[in-house]
Amino acid sequence: MSKYEFNDILSTVLRLGVVVSIILLATGVTLIFVMHGADGYSIDQIASYGSGSGISGFSINSSSLPLTGILNGVVHLNGLYFISLGLWVLIFTPISIVLIALAEFAYLKNRLYVVLSVIVLFDLFFAMLVVPVFFHV
Amino acid sequence: MTPLIALFNFLLIVVGGFSAGLLGSLTGLGGGTVLVPLLTIFYGIPIIYATGASLISTIATSAGSASAYVKERISNVKIGIGLEVATTVGAIIGSLLAVYVYDHRLQWIIYVLFGAVLLFSLYPTAQKGRHEIPPLKKPDWTTRLFQMTGVYYDARLKKDVHYNGVKWWAGEIVMLFAGIISGLLGIGSGAMKVLGMDWAMNLPMKVTTTTSNFMVGITAATGSSIYWYAGYIQVFVAAATAIGVLAGSFIGTKILVRMSNKNIRWLFFAVLSFLGVEMLLKGLASNGSFVTSGTDRLAISALTSVILISCLFLVIRKQEAEDVQV
Repeated sequence: MSKYEFNDILSTVLRLGVVVSIILLATGVTLIFVMHGADGYSIDQIASYGSGSGISGFSINSSSLPLTGILNGVVHLNGLYFISLGLWVLIFTPISIVLIALAEFAYLKNRLYVVLSVIVLFDLFFAMLVVPVFFHV
Repeated sequence: MTPLIALFNFLLIVVGGFSAGLLGSLTGLGGGTVLVPLLTIFYGIPIIYATGASLISTIATSAGSASAYVKERISNVKIGIGLEVATTVGAIIGSLLAVYVYDHRLQWIIYVLFGAVLLFSLYPTAQKGRHEIPPLKKPDWTTRLFQMTGVYYDARLKKDVHYNGVKWWAGEIVMLFAGIISGLLGIGSGAMKVLGMDWAMNLPMKVTTTTSNFMVGITAATGSSIYWYAGYIQVFVAAATAIGVLAGSFIGTKILVRMSNKNIRWLFFAVLSFLGVEMLLKGLASNGSFVTSGTDRLAISALTSVILISCLFLVIRKQEAEDVQV
């Protein structure tokens, strides 16, 4: 992989991630309006964000949308899970960039930068998998 | 709320996101930094959801604009990834701090810190472009070890610009703090990243801004997953802002290239300082240490921002005049 290709791949993946995610977000929102809600919640409930400085009052947020529900939710045209998927595609876009960089550094046998990208990836997955379990977030 | 009103609300948040993205890219401060005050002050959205939506939108804009800079080979991917070691650790610390703060209902801290960070970001952001290309420094041991020698083609100067990054460790320290701020306040903290690479590592402005742009997404992704599990992301709001901010910053970048009168920027800086003071006062008011009514706050913020920006304008004008003499 030449330097030329490397930058082009990164650029394409970044753009693809954004486009796919925005399409999913827009689809999710459209579905919520067309199906008059999602997941048993009304549009009213989905759109409300509570009031005050804390989360007071009723609102639906990410903690009630588990990752494991995404596949099933998308199959059943559940708007909330379309949005969830879109947001996770967005979160995974920079992660995939680090993965591609890691592959490039490994190919170039740049040991130091292989180690550095592995550390960054470790941090990213630590935040995603370990922190929620151990810190009872 | 009827579906029609919900739709109207959605579009209203998209418009808010669009303005934040536009203002964020025109000033170089980033959409998230404008979005959080906008959503909390004018939309009454709880700060938890405002920061959650901001962090998500930050990834979208970072990826969108970084895509172009990476392709043009101005961003230094290697330096970016190396510095992410510190920003991702910082983002984890910062997000956990945010969880602690919200669990203990200490929201006022977020308001005050946000206001302070916004106001302190103004000076370096306004100064941007003063020293476009720093004097080439002698490489130090970190330049060689971390392979921080680079080159990019400057379209305006019509030549290749060579550079050596120095003091990698100093950059890492600044990045750790940038990461903490990003996780705590739900912003990309791009201004702080630029500062680190500019002041500590002696990289040219074009390289620092575009590399920071690329890094912001990785930092925000780290914080976002913690925010997700903590329940700080209201998906309806986040979807609206992601779409709005992305569109706004896209248009902002296009306008920026064509904007011939750079003085217009000062109007935007005034808006930002207004938002900064407003956040600061709102935090102090909810803490009970400086209670003001809504209208008082607006008046004080407006007055303070006019004074602040006038001073900043004069200081930077003076610097520019000195630069010309040298």
